[in-house]
Amino acid sequence: MMGVVKTVRRAALALGTLAAAAAIATPAAALETVSVRLKWVAQAQFAGVYVAKAKGFYEAEGLDVTINPGGPNLNAESLVASGSDSFAVGGGIESLMASRDKKLPIVGLGMMHQRTPYVFVTMNDSGIKTLKDFKGKKVTTFFTGAQHTLNAMLLKEGVNPADVTITAQAVSMTPFISKEVDVATVTLYNELNVLKARGITNVTVFAPDDYGISVPRDVLITSEKMIAEKPKAVQGFLNATLRGWKYAIQNQGEAVDIVMAAAPGLDKAHQTAMLAEAGRLTIADAGTTKGIAALDMDRLKGAHDLLLNAKVINAPVDFATAFAPQFWDAVPAADKKM
Amino acid sequence: MRSTFVPQIAALLGLLFLWEAVVLAFNVPAHVMPTASAVLQDIGTGAALIGRGVARTLLETLLGFAIGAMVGFAFGAAFAWSRALERVLFPLFILSQAIPVIAFGALVVMWLGNGIWSKVAIAAYLTAFPVTVNTCRGMRSVDPQRVALLRSFGAGDWRVFWSLQVPFALPSIMAALKLGISLGLIGAIVGEWFGDTVGLGILLLQAMYMENMPRLWAVILVCGVIGIALYALMEAIERRWVWWRPEL
Repeated sequence: MMGVVKTVRRAALALGTLAAAAAIATPAAALETVSVRLKWVAQAQFAGVYVAKAKGFYEAEGLDVTINPGGPNLNAESLVASGSDSFAVGGGIESLMASRDKKLPIVGLGMMHQRTPYVFVTMNDSGIKTLKDFKGKKVTTFFTGAQHTLNAMLLKEGVNPADVTITAQAVSMTPFISKEVDVATVTLYNELNVLKARGITNVTVFAPDDYGISVPRDVLITSEKMIAEKPKAVQGFLNATLRGWKYAIQNQGEAVDIVMAAAPGLDKAHQTAMLAEAGRLTIADAGTTKGIAALDMDRLKGAHDLLLNAKVINAPVDFATAFAPQFWDAVPAADKKM
Repeated sequence: MRSTFVPQIAALLGLLFLWEAVVLAFNVPAHVMPTASAVLQDIGTGAALIGRGVARTLLETLLGFAIGAMVGFAFGAAFAWSRALERVLFPLFILSQAIPVIAFGALVVMWLGNGIWSKVAIAAYLTAFPVTVNTCRGMRSVDPQRVALLRSFGAGDWRVFWSLQVPFALPSIMAALKLGISLGLIGAIVGEWFGDTVGLGILLLQAMYMENMPRLWAVILVCGVIGIALYALMEAIERRWVWWRPEL
């Protein structure tokens, strides 16, 4: 008995010494250094992150955040899994599921775009009125996941995807504009604005969500290691990022200026349009009813099943380990509720 | 000396004029091919931005080139010195060149971070290979009789290296450096595609994905001019300091 008391007392003493040493070594003001990787180059799609940094929201949470822009051929998921970056604005639910399927230790914290951010468009005079009319037509789409969404939509409408000529879409919208292809894929926040900027507004839109298929995207991710070792930093990052997004959506002009200051090569009109769309996708559905970046589990399960059917993932992914909803739940309502 | 540039400048102006005329004459839409004047105007309005991009990309290129040239020279000399070393390591060099550089993107960022050094590394990586090959070949091509002669005067390995092999190999090294500096520029631009906010590669990406055609062509034009300028710089160095040709 005495032995136990002695051990406990010694442990308490040791802990106290450690705590005191830590207090001396790191004054209260010291910030935890972390980084966030964007899945693409700096642009208004990531406005919330830039606003959170510029407005000092990260600092207020005790974080010194470095924003690392991405680019083609750079995989945000693997950079977080390897520990090179603490957090990332990753790809879609498909990237998270595929990464978990490959045993990468990354975890979803929140979902920025509540709806599928890309849609399929055709010119009004193409003769295509419904998905059934896709039969025998030339369709281009992103082969980074969108092709599975398209297949699922077609199957749902009783069209065999094999009857549609589906090819990979290049960067340019020109083949669609010059009518070399009948249907193209556009993100609501980028390519659709490119079309509008070129004066093309007479298009029919087929949105996956109108056919009961949702592929939420721009998932905020971190690693299992971060959650185990620095849960406070994870919470702080999520709080500040959502606060940044709320601010960006409410003050879009200022948010665009903040993004432009970080990446001066951008076109202001284009970025303004991009933020408006990104904001709409963020506050859609659960984004408003629950809050920004809410994890709408029913919808995510639907996307998961679609990916499983399409064999993007080989086995069902365990949602209990793929997501850590406790962090989102703990974000103060003032930060996430619009 | 100065007068020799007149035909080149005339050719460039002629090309710009032809570009403008063809686009106007055939009424080519701007998103297919903007006019030369629209592109030049974009360079004018975006001068500050493009200037910043040029400064950054040029710095990456020159640092990468310098490191790549030194590494290439060291390996080339080592291979010329030891056949065994060449047999063991050279296949790895060839292997490394067979892998597209973009495959290394994530690795370079993981190892060197998102700053300037990941771009420098890729520029150096592309520069090193031709320099290695040409250094080795140049040094190997030294007439053995000359080596024997120098040795008969009591010259050691080091003396033979600096007095005979290096001067003999320099013309072929210079040829590799001219190629290497262009590759270094490509490496720096590709390196920026692994994530950054400044640089010509980033301006290229932004223009590409927002389909800003005048800007896209403006950056292409600027990259071309830099490429020519760097090549001309290497030529000037060659003419000034490496004017001799090996007798073969």
